[in-house]
Amino acid sequence: MTAILEVQEVGKSFGGVRAVDRLSFVIEEREILGLIGPNGAGKSTLFNLINGVFRPDAGRVRFCGADITGASPHRVARLGLARTHQIVQPLEAMTVLENCAVGACFGRENLPRARAQEAAREAAVFVGLEDRLDTPAAQLTIAGKKRLELARALAAQPLLLLLDEVLAGLNPTEVERMIGVIRRLRERGITILIIEHLMQAIMSLSDRIVVLNYGKRLAEGTPASVANDPQVIEAYLGDPALARELAGKTRA
Amino acid sequence: MSLFGIIASIIDGVLVGSVYGLAAMGLTLIWGVMDVVNLTHGSMIVAGMFALYLLTSVLGITPYATLLPVLVGGFLVGLALYWIAVHRMIGRAPLMSLLSTFSVNLVLIGLGTAVWGTVLFNVPVSFPGVTWQRYTFPGTHLLAAALTAVIAACLYVFLYRTRLGKAIRAVAGNRQAAELMGIPTTRVLALAFALGVALAGVSGMLIATLFPFTLLSGDAYQLKSFVVIVLGGLGNPTGALLGGIALGLLEGLVTPFIPVSWTLVIEFALFVTVLIAFPRGVFALRRS
Repeated sequence: MTAILEVQEVGKSFGGVRAVDRLSFVIEEREILGLIGPNGAGKSTLFNLINGVFRPDAGRVRFCGADITGASPHRVARLGLARTHQIVQPLEAMTVLENCAVGACFGRENLPRARAQEAAREAAVFVGLEDRLDTPAAQLTIAGKKRLELARALAAQPLLLLLDEVLAGLNPTEVERMIGVIRRLRERGITILIIEHLMQAIMSLSDRIVVLNYGKRLAEGTPASVANDPQVIEAYLGDPALARELAGKTRA
Repeated sequence: MSLFGIIASIIDGVLVGSVYGLAAMGLTLIWGVMDVVNLTHGSMIVAGMFALYLLTSVLGITPYATLLPVLVGGFLVGLALYWIAVHRMIGRAPLMSLLSTFSVNLVLIGLGTAVWGTVLFNVPVSFPGVTWQRYTFPGTHLLAAALTAVIAACLYVFLYRTRLGKAIRAVAGNRQAAELMGIPTTRVLALAFALGVALAGVSGMLIATLFPFTLLSGDAYQLKSFVVIVLGGLGNPTGALLGGIALGLLEGLVTPFIPVSWTLVIEFALFVTVLIAFPRGVFALRRS
């Protein structure tokens, strides 16, 4: 196993608040790594530090062995690191297919227009948008827009995919379908770092889980070990006694 | 006045109006891509007019051969203007870029007035016209409209059939998402701004083949551009061309009946009406 992404002692403060505090972790190739933590734990900030939207105050980020600390987002994207947004960001006034074609054109493969169109179609079909190819992105439902986010990222032929709450706001049927899509992505050899609040989903998807709290790593390990960690339960429930009680129950 | 006279006046209005549309395409492209109201637009139109004057009278180039140098020169000036007046204002309140381009406009017009004053210039351009009934459409008007159509078609092909055009449209749609999809957005913004300025310059050059001008003519044409882009829908280049044609049609329709000094009143009455009745523009049906 080789590391595709290495986050080393990365830190970022906003004013006096340490959003991410000397955080280190590694993602192996073809792994699905879950990132969980209470609201404001620094999960989205961490994504922004990895793909260059923010420049870290401290530490280094390595992607496929190359140092990408502070590189501009479009450079990071071209290296093969794609992401989806928690709040969907469709390209207005463009159709589903065009949105995906932009991803294919300017992603890792840097495809010419005709081949980008093919890759775009393939990505849109992969996430299940085949009957919405010519729909303007703005007219999609929220589930459709979430799929579009994923298709667009996928069209760029990424090596590593950062998924920011792709399941939030979906109904149970849509969640099931999206989980299926994510699993098939990994089968295609794409490494995935995923932020999610739906515990059941992330526990079943992830190989490993990193838990953040106040910008620091609270715990790391397999889904089962993390779920039984009293510190994690405390961070989520805020009551040490209840946490111990719950931890005791799950162990028993 | 005969019916033929009115029709001839309308046709001529449409020919001239298409050139207003070309100017407005530059303004609306910049607005659509980066939410910047480029108030150097008027001085760039004037720069195009003076480029025609200087290239023909000093260097002796034939008028229509100045089109390419004006396009290239306008593009380069646009790049410079972007870095001077616009780049640091991107993503800040729209008032910031409005004020910065307004200031640069004043500086440019001030410099120009110091050198050339505000006397009337006229570039003699002759081109055989077309006669219909008792009316002759000037060749300059026909050629200006034809060149406008060619430039507008090239812009359309560029925006919708090339990778770079795709990048510009992506940045217009969502700058942050475009950057995260691998598009160097800062360079794309500079490119779009330069393109908008080049269009303003070329339209100025074409207008100067039609009418005499002074260094202060830019304001009037800038105002027309605003009317046109409101007609066509903000940020929509195709709509701007249609808006220009509509404005020209209106001018052609009213000039046989009303003194010329009233056209501005009518145009701005239209401007206000459209803003109230069609806030997204009359030709903006395709935008969601």
